[in-house]
Amino acid sequence: MSNIVLEQLSKVYAEGASEEVRAVNGIDLEIEKGEFVAIVGPSGSGKSTLLNLIGGLDTPTTGHVYIDGVNTQGLNDKKLTRIRREKVGFVFQDFNLLPVLNALENVMLPLRYLKVGAREREKRAMEALELVGLTNRTRSRSSQLSGGERQRVAIARALVTKPALVLADEPTGELDTLNTCRVIEVMRNLNKELDQTFAIVTHDPMVAGYARRVVTLRDGKVESDIPGEAADLKCDEGDEGPTM
Amino acid sequence: MVKVILRNMWRRKARTFLTVFGIVVGIFALTVLGGLSARLTQQVNGAKSWFTNSISVVPSGGSLFGGSEGRYFNVSKVKEIDTIAGVKGAAAGIGVLVNESQSFSFGAPDLIIGLDLSQSQDILKNLTIGSGRPLQPGDKGKTAIGSVLADKLGANVGGTVQLKGQPFDVVGIYRPTLSATDTFAFVSYDDALPLFFKANPFIEKTPVSSVIYVTWDKGTDPEALSKRIENQVQGVRVISPAEAEKQISQFALIFNAILLGIAFIALLVGGLSIINTMVMSVSERTREIGLKRAIGAETRTILGEYLLESAMIGLMGGLIGMGLGLLAITGLNSATQSNNVTVFAITLTVVIGPVIFATVLGTLAGIFPALRAARLKPVESLRED
Repeated sequence: MSNIVLEQLSKVYAEGASEEVRAVNGIDLEIEKGEFVAIVGPSGSGKSTLLNLIGGLDTPTTGHVYIDGVNTQGLNDKKLTRIRREKVGFVFQDFNLLPVLNALENVMLPLRYLKVGAREREKRAMEALELVGLTNRTRSRSSQLSGGERQRVAIARALVTKPALVLADEPTGELDTLNTCRVIEVMRNLNKELDQTFAIVTHDPMVAGYARRVVTLRDGKVESDIPGEAADLKCDEGDEGPTM
Repeated sequence: MVKVILRNMWRRKARTFLTVFGIVVGIFALTVLGGLSARLTQQVNGAKSWFTNSISVVPSGGSLFGGSEGRYFNVSKVKEIDTIAGVKGAAAGIGVLVNESQSFSFGAPDLIIGLDLSQSQDILKNLTIGSGRPLQPGDKGKTAIGSVLADKLGANVGGTVQLKGQPFDVVGIYRPTLSATDTFAFVSYDDALPLFFKANPFIEKTPVSSVIYVTWDKGTDPEALSKRIENQVQGVRVISPAEAEKQISQFALIFNAILLGIAFIALLVGGLSIINTMVMSVSERTREIGLKRAIGAETRTILGEYLLESAMIGLMGGLIGMGLGLLAITGLNSATQSNNVTVFAITLTVVIGPVIFATVLGTLAGIFPALRAARLKPVESLRED
């Protein structure tokens, strides 16, 4: 069963005006459950917009998004929020950790919105932090963590609700090579173990190289959609990366 | 939740402090004035219960506190009044200031009230004796004193006190009424008359009265009776129970209007500063709000968070302001205690009122910024720097 189906999906900014921008222009795309897809393309090709439309952060001008068979077209804010809460996990380029919360509290946050009890929240958040190898930094605030650590916390936060779909927008955009490698490794392992669908927007050819499918966008359209041989991942420099 | 909100407030220590301080100032003023108003209300209520169970007839131009301004009329007025239909009893009374220089004081002045004891038992029974006994017809050289004045003069039942240089046996001390009568020393009319002459040395030495207390027969309307007295007796002013109540209430009304004014200013200044602070917080945290919305927070969750933060600012300002206000009240009360004056009362309303007021104010001030936060579109707010 397809996890995500996009039908004739378009997003037009400043519609009708002379500076009208078709950020996403009639995209048809299906992503199967458990896929690990990289979405690449030059700046302004509509990658981020596409991701926001898939995740229900933004609403399409025309066309449909189906998540697990549910058409998100015409859903009100409350229902869209519910889909995000229950089915989607987001990872952002600049992490977006809440500065007043420590790592554990950041990871617990989505569970609060799911009305999970406090004890269960902490237990599940600890498990998620263990998955990304950060059990030793649970009480640290964002400012005390390195970029790689922050992104792993953000990944733990995206995974803690066990969403069907994880959407990452340039998750390694602010990380060095070693940390990029580790973050990708964490995501790939999770994809394999938990059978969650990952869609990752990236500029980085290395990241795309590790995906099993690469969708290239240009001018809001799909230019190519190539099933790839995911390269083997080996993060250098001995110090222990995320432990699985 | 509250912990996180406190951390958020702590992010901008100086701004939070200034905002809370603004509330503190307003609530401090409100608490102190509230204490003043509470004390006033106690006195007003006490005064009402005393002054509304009889009709006070005073010389024209006189006031409720008959005698304190030295006006008088001939005691023959008592007989005139006594013949009017509906009058049960008319008691000649004479008021003399205990201390001449006490022309103004907070609340009622210390007064020696001389009463025709055979006619005034009906009126006096409205006061409850604390120790000893009330005055009885035929008492001479005896006094029953209000609690505050008793304290001030160091009076004990069985002892004597000096009233305008004249010794009186203290037969009773009244329970506190928190009103004018607490500073009254009741004596017989005959005992008070010489004191009145002493205080007003240039008047003709004929029996005079500065106030006549009139009670009414069962079934008689005191207001109608007051009218009748006014029409039939020359040169008097009749203060009916309703008018007495009105006069006393008016005094409190003016004060409470000032209190309301202060509350309104506190509301305006404090409210605007909370709104300003919260609007700034919301725009600083636009990305965070976007993130929360992205990971599943509903609009009403965001709304609740910001309303709670704003209410907390109000609550903190309210608690601190009220605390400082109580401190000031206690300090001022103990400073004036040596003069047997209590200026402020601490009641439950004085303590809780300002805190509730500040919290409600904070919540109301938070509505606009919180709505702004809740209405942010997730995708746009995430783009914000």
